[in-house]
Amino acid sequence: MIKVTHVTKTYDDGKVRVEALRGINVEIKNGEFTAIVGPSGSGKTTLLNIIGGLDTPTEGNVIIGETNIAHLSENQLIDFRLNHIGFVFQSYNLIPVLTAKENVEFLMLLQNKSEAERDERTTKLLKAVGLEDQINKKPNEMSGGQQQRVAVARALASKPDFILADEPTANLDSASTANLLDIMYRLNQEENMTFVFSTHDQRVIDRAKRVITVEDGKILSDIYA
Amino acid sequence: MIVKIAFKNIWRNKLRSWVVIIAIALGIFGGLAVISTATGLSKMRQNNAIRTYVSHLQLHDSAYLKYGRLDDTINQQADIITYLEKSKKVKGISPRLKVESFIQSAGGTSGVILNGIDPEKERQVTDLAEQCIAGNFLERYKQKPPIIISQKLATKLNARVKTTIQCSFTNNMGVPITGIFKVVDIFSTSNSMYDELNAFVRLEDLQHLTSIQGSHEIAVVLHEEKEVEQFREELISKFPNQHIASWRGIAPDLGYADKMMDLVMTLFLIIIMLALAFGIVNTMLMAVLERKKELGMLISVGMNKRKVFWMIIWESIFLALIAGPLGIFSTYLAVNFFGRVGIDLSFAAQGLRSIGLESTLFPILDDKYYVIISILVIITAILSCIYPALKALKLNPAETLRTA
Ligand SMILES: Nc1ncnc2c1ncn2[C@@H]1O[C@H](COP(=O)(O)OP(=O)(O)OP(=O)(O)O)[C@@H](O)[C@H]1O
Ligand SMILES: [Mg+2]
Repeated sequence: MIKVTHVTKTYDDGKVRVEALRGINVEIKNGEFTAIVGPSGSGKTTLLNIIGGLDTPTEGNVIIGETNIAHLSENQLIDFRLNHIGFVFQSYNLIPVLTAKENVEFLMLLQNKSEAERDERTTKLLKAVGLEDQINKKPNEMSGGQQQRVAVARALASKPDFILADEPTANLDSASTANLLDIMYRLNQEENMTFVFSTHDQRVIDRAKRVITVEDGKILSDIYA
Repeated sequence: MIVKIAFKNIWRNKLRSWVVIIAIALGIFGGLAVISTATGLSKMRQNNAIRTYVSHLQLHDSAYLKYGRLDDTINQQADIITYLEKSKKVKGISPRLKVESFIQSAGGTSGVILNGIDPEKERQVTDLAEQCIAGNFLERYKQKPPIIISQKLATKLNARVKTTIQCSFTNNMGVPITGIFKVVDIFSTSNSMYDELNAFVRLEDLQHLTSIQGSHEIAVVLHEEKEVEQFREELISKFPNQHIASWRGIAPDLGYADKMMDLVMTLFLIIIMLALAFGIVNTMLMAVLERKKELGMLISVGMNKRKVFWMIIWESIFLALIAGPLGIFSTYLAVNFFGRVGIDLSFAAQGLRSIGLESTLFPILDDKYYVIISILVIITAILSCIYPALKALKLNPAETLRTA
C-alpha cells in the first residue's frame, strides 16, 4: 500500500521557483493498475519519483507499507528501492553490456540471491514477458518493445511491492504498446502485482483500472474504471 | 558481477580504451627506456673510467698519500703482489712508480707525473695501450728510454713521436736529476685533466733514474666488478698498513653519477605517473559523463553507491592491468635485445668520446624498476579514477533520468 499525504514539491534553484506538486493526497492499494495522466509539466514524473523514492518531497509523507520514505537517507533510499520498488523507465532501462538474462538477474545479484534462485526466476520472468528465446541477446540486438519487456521482467525480479513506470510506452509503436500492456495487465491479474504508470497515450489510459489526473501539481480527478 | 560489468564496460568504446592502454604502455615503455639508457650511459662512463685510468682498486703506502715523497714506496710490495697473483678474483695488477717532474721539449714546458710502468702488466689493468695512436706501447727506441705523452701534452710541448724530451726532478736526497726520453707514442683518454697530468715511461727506466726500487702504487683489476668492495675489505684486513681504495673512493664523481641518476629516475617516474594519471582521469571522466543516464538508472533501481564507485575503479584497474604488462613486456623485450646487440650511436661518436662514452650503448635496467613501475602504475590508476568515480556518485538519479 502506498499512502501519499500532503505532499508538495518545490524546485528552487535560487532564481526560479517551480511548485511542481502542491498538496497531493492519494492512496494506492496493493493489486491496483493505476494510470497517472495529465498535460505535460503537470507533475506526473515528479509524483512518481517521489513515490519511488528517487526524489524527496518538500513537505508531506510517503508511506510505503510501514515505512515513511520521506525521512530516509539517500543510502537507505537506494536499499529501499532495491528491495521494495520495481522501475520501468521510458528509456535507458537496461545495462547495454549485459544480455537480457543478465539484466534481469542483476537486481537479484545486488540482493545476494543464490544462483539457483536467480536462474529459476530469470527464466520464469523472461518467459512471462514472452522473451524466452531472446535471453542471450544484448539490448541493442532487441527492439524497443522487447527491451521494455526485459525492463518489466527486471523490475519484477527483485520481488518489489509495486512497479512504477514513467511513460513506459512513449517510445513504442502501437503493436508493441499493446503487447507491453497485455503483459503488465496479465501480471497484475495473475500475480496481483501493483502497477502505477504515467502516460499520455489514450489507448494506455483505456486499459487502466484507475485513472488519476494531475494538473498543475494537484489531483484534478481520481476515477475507477 | 560488478567486476564483470566493469570489464565489459571498457570495451564499449574500444578505440578510446585502446588509446588509453597504448598511451599507458608507451608511457611505461618510454620511461623505462630512458631509465635503461641513462643507466647504460652511466655504467658505460663508469666502465670507461675504470678501464682507462681508475682500475678497480689502488694500493698506496699511507705515507705516500700523506707526503708524496719519492721513498714512500709500498713496503710490503713483494708480499702484496704474491697475494694478489694468487687470488682467483684478480684479473691484473700493475705496479707503478710515480714521480712529479718538470717536462721540457724544444717547443715548451709543463709539469707532469711520470708513471713508471711495466707495459705488459699495465695492459692487464688499463687499456692505455689501445688509446695510443702509433701502437708503440713503450718499446725500446734507439737506446733512449721511451716515453708516452698525451695528445694534449704533445700539443703543449709542440712534441710528436720521435721528439726528444727532458724530464727533471729532485730526488729524495735533494739532488736534481734529469732524464732524456724519446716520445714513442701519443695517447688520449676521455679524461683531459688526466691526460694533461700523466706521462708514461718504463718502470725500470724510472727506477734506474731515481735509484728507487719498488713502486708507489699498485693498480688492481678484478674479474667481477661486484666483488670490488668485498675484496677491498679482504686486502685491508691482510695489509692494514696500506691505503687501499676502490674506484668509488678514487673517483667519487663516478659514484655520484649513480646517486644523481637515482634522483633523475625518481623525477622521471613521477612525470610518467602524472601523465598517466592525467590520461586516466580524462578518460574515466569522459566515460562517466557519457554514461550519466545509465549510471542514474543503476542508482535508481537500487545499486548502491559503493558498488557504483567500485565499478568505475575496476574499469581503470582493468585498463592499467592490460596496459601495464604490455608496456613492461615490450620494455623487457627491447632492453634485452638492445642490451645484447647494443644501440649504435656512432653518428655521434665524436661528441660522446669527449665525455667519456663509446659509440655503442648497452641499455641496462635493474629488475627493481619493473616492480616499481608495475606498482606505481596500479596505484596511479586507482588514485586517478577516484575523482571520476566520486563524480559518478554525485549523480542525482531523478535528474539524470529526467533529461531523457
Ligand atoms: N529539477 C527541476 N528543476 C526545476 N523544475 C523542475 C525540475 N523537474 C521538474 N521541474 C518542473 O516541475 C514541473 C513538473 O514536471 P514533471 O516532469 O513532473 O511533469 P510531467 O507531468 O512529468 O510532464 P511530462 O508529461 O512532460 O513528462 C514542470 O514545470 C517542470 O518544469
Ligand atoms: Mg514526465
